[in-house]
Amino acid sequence: MPKAKPEMRIIFIPIVLLFIVFLILPLAVLFIRSFETGQGYSVSNYLTILADQEIRESIGNSMKVSGVTALITTVLAFILAYSIHCTRIYRPLKSIIRTGILIPMLLPTITYGFAIMYSFGNQGLITKIFGRNLFEIYGFNGLLIGYVIYTLPSAFLLIHNSFKYIDKKFIVVSKLMGDGTLRSFMNTIVRPLWGTLGGAFVLSFILSFTDFGIPASVGGTYNVVATQLYQVMLGAIPDFNNGAVIAVLMLIPAAFGVVLLTYLEKFNFHYDKVTEIEMIRNKGRDSVLGLISSVILIGLLAVFAVMFVAPLMIGYPYDLTFTFKHFVDVFQSSDLINVYKNSLLVAGLTAIVGTIVAYAAAIINVRTPVKGKATFDILSMVTNTVPGMVLGLSYLLLFNNSSLKGTFTILVLCTLVHYFTTPYLMAKNSLAKMNPSWETTAELLGDSWLQTIRRVILPNSASTVIEMVSYYFINAMVTISGIIFLVTAQTSVVASKIKELQHFAKFNEVFVLSILIFCTNLIIKLLGDYLQKRQSNSR
Amino acid sequence: MSKRIKGFKGIMLSIVALSLVFTLAGCGNKASGDASKVVILTNADEEAVASMETALKGAGYEGQYIFQSLGTSELGGKLMAEGDKIEANLITMSSYFVESAQEKHDMFKDLSFTTNALDSYPAYYTPILANTGAIFVNTAVLKDKGLAMPTSIKDLTKPEFKGLVSVPNIMDSSTGWLLVQAIISQYGEEEGKTVLHDLVANVGPHLESSGSGPIKKVKAGEVAAGFGLRHQAVLAKEEGAPIDYVDPTEGNFSLTESVAVVKKDDATTELAMKMAETIIKDARKDLITNYPVALYKDETVSDIHKPAHSMKFVKPLTVELLEQHQQFFKENK
Repeated sequence: MPKAKPEMRIIFIPIVLLFIVFLILPLAVLFIRSFETGQGYSVSNYLTILADQEIRESIGNSMKVSGVTALITTVLAFILAYSIHCTRIYRPLKSIIRTGILIPMLLPTITYGFAIMYSFGNQGLITKIFGRNLFEIYGFNGLLIGYVIYTLPSAFLLIHNSFKYIDKKFIVVSKLMGDGTLRSFMNTIVRPLWGTLGGAFVLSFILSFTDFGIPASVGGTYNVVATQLYQVMLGAIPDFNNGAVIAVLMLIPAAFGVVLLTYLEKFNFHYDKVTEIEMIRNKGRDSVLGLISSVILIGLLAVFAVMFVAPLMIGYPYDLTFTFKHFVDVFQSSDLINVYKNSLLVAGLTAIVGTIVAYAAAIINVRTPVKGKATFDILSMVTNTVPGMVLGLSYLLLFNNSSLKGTFTILVLCTLVHYFTTPYLMAKNSLAKMNPSWETTAELLGDSWLQTIRRVILPNSASTVIEMVSYYFINAMVTISGIIFLVTAQTSVVASKIKELQHFAKFNEVFVLSILIFCTNLIIKLLGDYLQKRQSNSR
Repeated sequence: MSKRIKGFKGIMLSIVALSLVFTLAGCGNKASGDASKVVILTNADEEAVASMETALKGAGYEGQYIFQSLGTSELGGKLMAEGDKIEANLITMSSYFVESAQEKHDMFKDLSFTTNALDSYPAYYTPILANTGAIFVNTAVLKDKGLAMPTSIKDLTKPEFKGLVSVPNIMDSSTGWLLVQAIISQYGEEEGKTVLHDLVANVGPHLESSGSGPIKKVKAGEVAAGFGLRHQAVLAKEEGAPIDYVDPTEGNFSLTESVAVVKKDDATTELAMKMAETIIKDARKDLITNYPVALYKDETVSDIHKPAHSMKFVKPLTVELLEQHQQFFKENK
């Protein structure tokens, strides 16, 4: 580890300042505003809110639907991960499942609701195929489907990663020792994964609890916390103090969840070494799990099928003539194209600036002795905890009368802070794996610290940097909860425009814009994967 | 410190500078090019927005304005909360909201052009259109479900319509107010309670936040009948969709939406005033085809668009009255 150098501090200080101004201060203001009343400070706002029947009901609803979602998602994600790691399903099918399951990540959640409506509604695509309504989609059921689709990719990734650290040799050992199927399964799979499964549950719960896009599009009259918060802030009679209270209430389960996640980490097994073995043949197991996984995946993708079908028809569901008219209209509407450009600008800036910030923070934390470097770990915990809506709302309260109001800058900063945790941890992991004596060696050979970073550290973590950029870009493209309070007519982005189009029920435009986002993200993702591949091949 | 380090400090600083430049580019977008763009916030329907845009483009204003549509309650909330700090230079909004916002913030400039309106209005706004409420049905779904054609709002409370009715929500939409007004004025608050309660029970999840929501649901066949804007049903019928409209026996109420210019001391305000004039002078002939109520001298409408039971409001409309009626709705839904 090299000695602390001035240039390290030059990097350290601005980043810390950035987080003080755009994370700590806004949250502090949010807390203060939640206690503010006409007659000084008191808890009376909290009492008013908690006495409100509708808000109490919506908190209950949020808890209920998020809980059920978390349960279903965890089970489905586990089945998928298990099929990939512990069966001998046809290999190409495995890779189709692995990539297919990530597709929802490329779309804004506000699109899910419309896709669900046009799939399962009275005139929906899937309803037409089955010839009858499968179930009532407005309210609880619609939210549940939306949330499961939304949380499944994240939960799957989490469990999928943990499976890599499980030694499957023990499955064979347990079989040889004469354990029954159930016992063997419990001891060799479930026990080591216990912490991860809990983590997947908590993660799905928090994601559903704090999402705004899905209830905004398919909630119907089933009130949840996110829609209540939006109504209190931007509805007929805006009340910033009560909004702040609801935001704080929203923060509590999220904070609790993060604490729980850290606690669950302890349950994770770490085998000393993991041996790669091929599973024992079992036709029955493989065909059943292969079928279940395929059904999950097809079900997931079927919901989005309508998105690609409806806009290609003149007037779904009545006039099913094929047409490109809706696409042409969108591309000719300077208004919509501008919004798409805005989205690209915000996502591009977030990706560039965000990656620089997260990478620099990780370098300071992992590879320098700067005092206070642990600050970044704490900050990344905080950014992981604060839901996007709460962050956006706190910006609104703090910057509403500043020159930042209504700029792209505030959108970029909000997204950057909101999604900081994952890229930061990516960088940290990759930097921690490198040989700690590189900087010292380079210094002895006469290179400065910054030169070492440029010549040695960066090239060795290039593939991580690519991953960070694509993570930031894709999330900035699809996020709505963080920015919904901050966009204006001039800085409207696609996700918020969809909400406006929803007001007029212009579903064709909604779907065309969603396809635009989807294709953009797909290109970024594929490009990222290709560059990463090239990196690892060139080594 | 060696020279090298200095050089690298420079590089590091330039990276920081670069990110600042990017950030500023974001700001710059706002600060330079768009400064003269007139921001128009509106709660009008898409047909009305389209007419206004056509008029503005015809007058050569293309690229000098940004339209943004909001729900009545969202825009109303913004007006009440932000006053003249609102992002808009020009708004079109339900007239009662314009009046209440002016009362609270004194935020609108007097209009600098003559309007020739039939009625007299305050100096700071003039109407762009009037919306009329009516019932409409999807004839295919009616036949499918074996339902009789409804003639009144009360008919929609019958049990056979359960889950097959869509109405706008007064909490979000001014069209929802037209519905509540019709119920209260016909049945009074006592009987009105029951009618409203049974209606909302039948509506279930199809309570829409936008005045155009119900017609969309009726057109999509999600429901059999709805209450909403009369002109949209007339248009849908003319387009050949399986839609018919009914003037309810409780009466067709109308609300006007008006244009107003926000007091801001800059060049954009003047441009906004010119655009307001263009909207009134040029967009009306288009607007009146979609919103067939005569508001200015020399305007006529054909009989198909004259609602059968045209009604006037008993009390003057104010945001306070709206809040009372919202309360009434909340208590009895």
